[in-house]
Amino acid sequence: MASRYDRAITVFSPDGHLFQVEYAQEAVKKGSTAVGIRGTNIVVLGVEKKSVAKLQDERTVRKICALDDHVCMAFAGLTADARVVINRARVECQSHKLTVEDSVTVEYITRFIATLKQKYTQSNGRRPFGISALIVGFDDGGIPRLYQTDPSGTYHAWKANAIGRSAKTVREFLEKNYTEDAISNDDDTIKLAIRALLEVVQSGGKNIELAIIRRNQPLKMFSAKEIELQVSEIEKEKEEAEKKKSKKTG
Amino acid sequence: MAATFFGEVVKAPCRAGAEDDEEEEEERRRETPEDRELRRQLARKREVRLLRRQTETSLEVSLLEKYPCSQFIIGIGNNAVAFLSSFVMNSGIWEEVGCAKLWNEWCRTTDALHISPTEAYCVFYHLKSNPSVFLCQCSCYVAEDQQYQWLEKVFGTCPKKNMQVTVLTCRHVTDYKTSESTGSLPSPFLKALKTQNFKDPACCSLLEQPNIVHDLPAAVLSYCQVWQLPAVLYLCYTDVMKLDLLTVEAFKPVLASRSLKGLAKNIPQSTEILKKLMTANEIQSNIYT
Repeated sequence: MASRYDRAITVFSPDGHLFQVEYAQEAVKKGSTAVGIRGTNIVVLGVEKKSVAKLQDERTVRKICALDDHVCMAFAGLTADARVVINRARVECQSHKLTVEDSVTVEYITRFIATLKQKYTQSNGRRPFGISALIVGFDDGGIPRLYQTDPSGTYHAWKANAIGRSAKTVREFLEKNYTEDAISNDDDTIKLAIRALLEVVQSGGKNIELAIIRRNQPLKMFSAKEIELQVSEIEKEKEEAEKKKSKKTG
Repeated sequence: MAATFFGEVVKAPCRAGAEDDEEEEEERRRETPEDRELRRQLARKREVRLLRRQTETSLEVSLLEKYPCSQFIIGIGNNAVAFLSSFVMNSGIWEEVGCAKLWNEWCRTTDALHISPTEAYCVFYHLKSNPSVFLCQCSCYVAEDQQYQWLEKVFGTCPKKNMQVTVLTCRHVTDYKTSESTGSLPSPFLKALKTQNFKDPACCSLLEQPNIVHDLPAAVLSYCQVWQLPAVLYLCYTDVMKLDLLTVEAFKPVLASRSLKGLAKNIPQSTEILKKLMTANEIQSNIYT
């Protein structure tokens, strides 16, 4: 049934589906997991690093990209589509700055990306972008923001969200563990992001990449050592919590 | 043929059907000797052959007639095979008793007659300490026309009734028909389908209508139903069809079933073996990040 209505993107099926958009959402699930958390004074983006071939230069395989000094995004899905969207967003950020002499707000650039994606769901002969994006940053007033866009061109603000493979598992973890306590300070927010990723990442800390933006500070990418440090602290805390539990029950 | 507004070419039903059908049938009957030879060659190419692994000689009788068993566990597809390799086959010594060699359009090798031993994707083992436990690892696709041959050569024409069959396989979650949207499904998840004679409780919920099972697992289950053998199929719906840790681990509840209980002994070691399998099999595709 679906095959009669998924050839041309502009065709609705009798029950109101745009199959190409739904198939694009499947393409997003093929990308590795990315998680975004909005803290009180910090925004965190964590991604599962894609395994790189032996002879491949790791620097060219990046899931977290800066769009401007105060905005960055992580994506999941088709690499080439992401490159195109990121380039357009970066140009728009600078164009906005030159035109109105103000940096973009996070919501503005998210809306720009979402509008771009929506255009491709309504054009003849073009397929949608096969990526979802998590866009984080701080607005002028110092308010932290996290937005998520998807191939259909919708965007929503989130307190914490995940995209890509196993996003559901990570989202369920966040729903259980995202509390005011957990994001009370920067360190805890970072730990929450890493803990969420460790639920689904296969080989622990060495397959995680992390980026943070603190209020009025530029984007900071964590080094592998810093991530390992955080992971070992998390493991220590886990052990201590388990010891306490066994003492209570024992 | 007719063209739609969007440029699709569709086959329009012909109202003057009767006359056209007769002409087509006559053409089919005019088969030349070359056609017959081609059909014979194709049938030979698509034959399913069951071989003894070491000697590469064909088995004269069906596999289960030669090696009668009480428990037959079949893993179909790379995730099910990885599960059995890591959790079941590492807890005991398994002896290879044969393999099924077959060719169809899905096979990566072009040479049908000389498939190398490393590519024999359908391998049969029995547990050395208890030869009545039989295991099959099937990583290849068995086409519709080959499924009957496979069943005949493995099960034989008159299977023993005291055998219990367990099949493990995967399917993409988008094939799962439900009123919920696939985005909200907790994939990977397990569903079971059993024959009438299977009396034990399944390790997960049963597969609801209108979902159906396809390919070799369906053929095996149908065969078991017809011959009144107790059989159960554990079907894992997943959104990652390639070898994936979460999908393989989704089969873990099956370890509590009667057929697999006692076969999987060293779970932590199994998890390590599975992780090694994953890293060895990671495909370096750059399309998705």
